[in-house]
Amino acid sequence: MKRLLMAMVIVLVCCLTATVVLAGGGGPPKNLIKGFFLKINPDHTAIFKKDVTGEEISLKLSEDIKPEDIPMNRKVLVTLKTEGHEITNEVKRISIMFIDLPVSKVIALLVVGLIGGLLSGFIGSGGAFVLTPSMMSLGVPGAVAVASNMCHKFPKAMVGAYKRWKYGQADVKLGLFMAASAIVGVQIGIQIQKYILDHWGNAGSNLYVSLMFVIILVVVGTYVFYDAFKLKKGGKEAEVTKLALALQKINLPPMIHFKQAGITISIWFTIPVGVATGMLAATIAVGGFIGVPGLIYVIGASAVVASATELVIAFVMGMWGSIQWGLSGLIDIRLTLLILAASLIGVQLGALGTTYVKDYMIKIVMGAVMLIVSVSRGAKIPAYLADLGLRPPLTPQTAALYDAISFWALVAALGAAGIIISAAMIRGMLQARAEGL
Amino acid sequence: MKPKKSKRALAIKTLVFGALSGTLYYLLFSNVDWVTTTYTMGGWHTVYPVGTALLFSFVHGAFASNFLALLGIEPKGGH
Repeated sequence: MKRLLMAMVIVLVCCLTATVVLAGGGGPPKNLIKGFFLKINPDHTAIFKKDVTGEEISLKLSEDIKPEDIPMNRKVLVTLKTEGHEITNEVKRISIMFIDLPVSKVIALLVVGLIGGLLSGFIGSGGAFVLTPSMMSLGVPGAVAVASNMCHKFPKAMVGAYKRWKYGQADVKLGLFMAASAIVGVQIGIQIQKYILDHWGNAGSNLYVSLMFVIILVVVGTYVFYDAFKLKKGGKEAEVTKLALALQKINLPPMIHFKQAGITISIWFTIPVGVATGMLAATIAVGGFIGVPGLIYVIGASAVVASATELVIAFVMGMWGSIQWGLSGLIDIRLTLLILAASLIGVQLGALGTTYVKDYMIKIVMGAVMLIVSVSRGAKIPAYLADLGLRPPLTPQTAALYDAISFWALVAALGAAGIIISAAMIRGMLQARAEGL
Repeated sequence: MKPKKSKRALAIKTLVFGALSGTLYYLLFSNVDWVTTTYTMGGWHTVYPVGTALLFSFVHGAFASNFLALLGIEPKGGH
């Protein structure tokens, strides 16, 4: 019976994945084309050869693009201007698709990969929110950064989930149930995004994403942080929340028993948490910031089990996302594998670190990261408000300052998490060694 | 508690997976032009990046696991 149920969940996940992939939801924007510039004409137009199909098309160059700046012998990613739903043939932006990789950039990718992996192995998510902006600051086009990052996320999550399953922490069944509902959540999230994009344009969409990011991260992050400090101060082990206990008592069939998490709960209560995780993943690309707290405070899992189970969800979602971005041919496998080289070590270190720390330590790291990351996103809001005409335009100096705050807050989040995890792990190991464990 | 793996066995495993992983990275980066072209053709070619990421995660992941164990960094209780 158990196996049958498990098989059904896996089939459901596969079916949903296939449906979403075929429907083409999510994935890259439609106004991106890949290929080579063949010729620049004096009338500010260019002949462009599309990748794969080899079709040659004529493109109009926008006024701020200088013909001498266009790379002629390299594969480029061209962003076309849009007017409402219509994609025009006017070039808005040109980015080199495969950036050069000098040693300094390789080292930068390895360092970010290592700490991102450490964080992911420890709190179940993270890394993604800092990897994409980091790659973009190295000159990688946005869509390629998202795609390459996604493709590194699922194998990393798989290795992390396997390790934590071996330590008896990951509840694979709960993870698959959550992932199935999260995929539905992603679809809902995408529809909301489309609605906002249609009504308020790109600036409105950016503002919505940033506001959601800041509100959710500040509210949930503060609560997680408060809870962690309460536990640390009281020196007690974490208790299941009253909400989770009340929900577990409600007998609403089908009731599912999750052995590893030690929970029996109605599927009708796991679905909303999964859907919310997916919606957040579609909106701010880090579903774990709602998935892990949801598993802890609504479902009633411990922080260790919740963060481990999140890795199972991240694997399924990341695999689905990678297939989508791969269908559009936007994954730069060099970047994926360079990050993976370090993050596979980081994720295993983070995973084994959880065996040495108390439950509240995971909450402290999670809360701290969420709050610092919210500063990063909050610093982007003034620019979006100016784009919408809701405040006077920013001077170039102010805009640069906000950008710097945004980027360095991400670096600070990653750095702080790396230090807290390493210190807690080393302390735990020394203590265990002293006790002769 | 399970008996701990001998250092020698761990070292051999680390070396084998390390060499395999190194070879895979070398092969990929020495054919980088072919790789970047083929892997970004879209459509069914998505199996290339996804499959490669999976293969590297198995090989390099096994190397990393053995390497950490060889350094004496192991989970509490030695799972």
